Amino acid sequence: MRETVLKDVFRAFLAAAAGVLFYSLAGSAGPSVLVVLNAFSVVVVYFSVRRGEVFGAFLGTACGLVQDAFSLSVFGLAGLTKTLLGFFTGYVTRRIDVSPFPRMGAFLLVMSSLELAAYVLLSSVVRQEPVQLHGGLLLLQPPVTALLGVALITAERRLSARRREP
Amino acid sequence: MPLWDRRRNILLLAGLVLFHVVLISIQVPRGQGRKSLFEKSVFFVFSPIQRAAVGTVRGVRSFWLNYFDLRGVRQENRELKDSLFFLRQESRFLQDRLELYRAESQIRESLERFREELIPARVIGIDSANPFRSLVLDKGSLDGVKRNMAVCDKFGNLVGRTIDPVSLREAMVQLITDQESRVNVISVTDRLVGSVTGRSSPVCDLRYVLASTTGGTVGEALETTGHDRIYPAGLPVGRIAAIQKDPSLPLFRKILVQPYFQFNTLDAVAVLPQVQGADK
Repeated sequence: MRETVLKDVFRAFLAAAAGVLFYSLAGSAGPSVLVVLNAFSVVVVYFSVRRGEVFGAFLGTACGLVQDAFSLSVFGLAGLTKTLLGFFTGYVTRRIDVSPFPRMGAFLLVMSSLELAAYVLLSSVVRQEPVQLHGGLLLLQPPVTALLGVALITAERRLSARRREP
Repeated sequence: MPLWDRRRNILLLAGLVLFHVVLISIQVPRGQGRKSLFEKSVFFVFSPIQRAAVGTVRGVRSFWLNYFDLRGVRQENRELKDSLFFLRQESRFLQDRLELYRAESQIRESLERFREELIPARVIGIDSANPFRSLVLDKGSLDGVKRNMAVCDKFGNLVGRTIDPVSLREAMVQLITDQESRVNVISVTDRLVGSVTGRSSPVCDLRYVLASTTGGTVGEALETTGHDRIYPAGLPVGRIAAIQKDPSLPLFRKILVQPYFQFNTLDAVAVLPQVQGADK
């Protein structure tokens, strides 16, 4: 049990580092890619579904603070919204069966939409300025996060099922 | 059963939320321009990871390009030689023009000093919340980078200025497209003076140009005035993209500016020496 947790902590650290790397390398592909895809949200939803609410909340805090440290937004804003995203994604996954592909997709879409809504709302309140929607591109962030989250979770499940086969 | 055992997860969430609320509260109202020690610490810890990861990826890419993918190098070399020829001509022309104003020895000395103080840097990260706000460079205080130094792209166009945090080997740059950025500019032809302010989007506003002022055409180039003591005078900033009427602010003209710098050419940049008397 302890070994699995440590393995997941290590994997989560690697995934967060991959998120940082994404923001380093994706710039040359154009700013639109960076607006549409929030790599840290994908990391948080993936591990929250796997490990539950407490792991999700702490990972959300870590990923959110890293995101804030590499941006000019208010430090702690993404930390707060990603903590809530991690906690509630893990919490609901433990209580409702969201394993089927369409149900998981819809669930992650709702969670990432709520996260974006919370970020936009908090940002407007704290900064007293409207959040830049980049011509509506920002609204594509929740579907992209949900799609990537579902793809990762499905791939991981298929891989582990194949490993279990004799 | 104690409350902690029954409601452990909810209490943990409440603790984390409280931590973030306190963190956000101590930064509001903003406007001091300095970052908290905690924020700097997170940047100091994670920026070397970012630097190492980018370095590895670039190393692999460079290895591939240098040893395996040599196709087209001859053609590229020919094009570079052509380009160098024209650049030399331009440089000679500019030196001739400068000699009209100053003695040659003074020009050489000034060019040499400028070259020594220039810090070439590479971009290792883009703002994770809004790409039009900031960048992370692979040069820090050990390389001579300080706060409030102008940053230009490889074509000499203004990109932004260095801001806190500046760590030992990395530094953050506020882009001119950031909504909190202000650059004093002058238009090249009609000499309109104003302040280029970002919108955290691809275009900027040219503010504080009175509605009674005449001149200014779409496509006219804008360059820095140097009055803000951060950006040296004469740096190309962008061009006027549109001139509109703003009913909400009838006293001023609404002018949109398209910055010259492009994200796809932002791999290498130059950090310029600090302007005399700049805020350090």
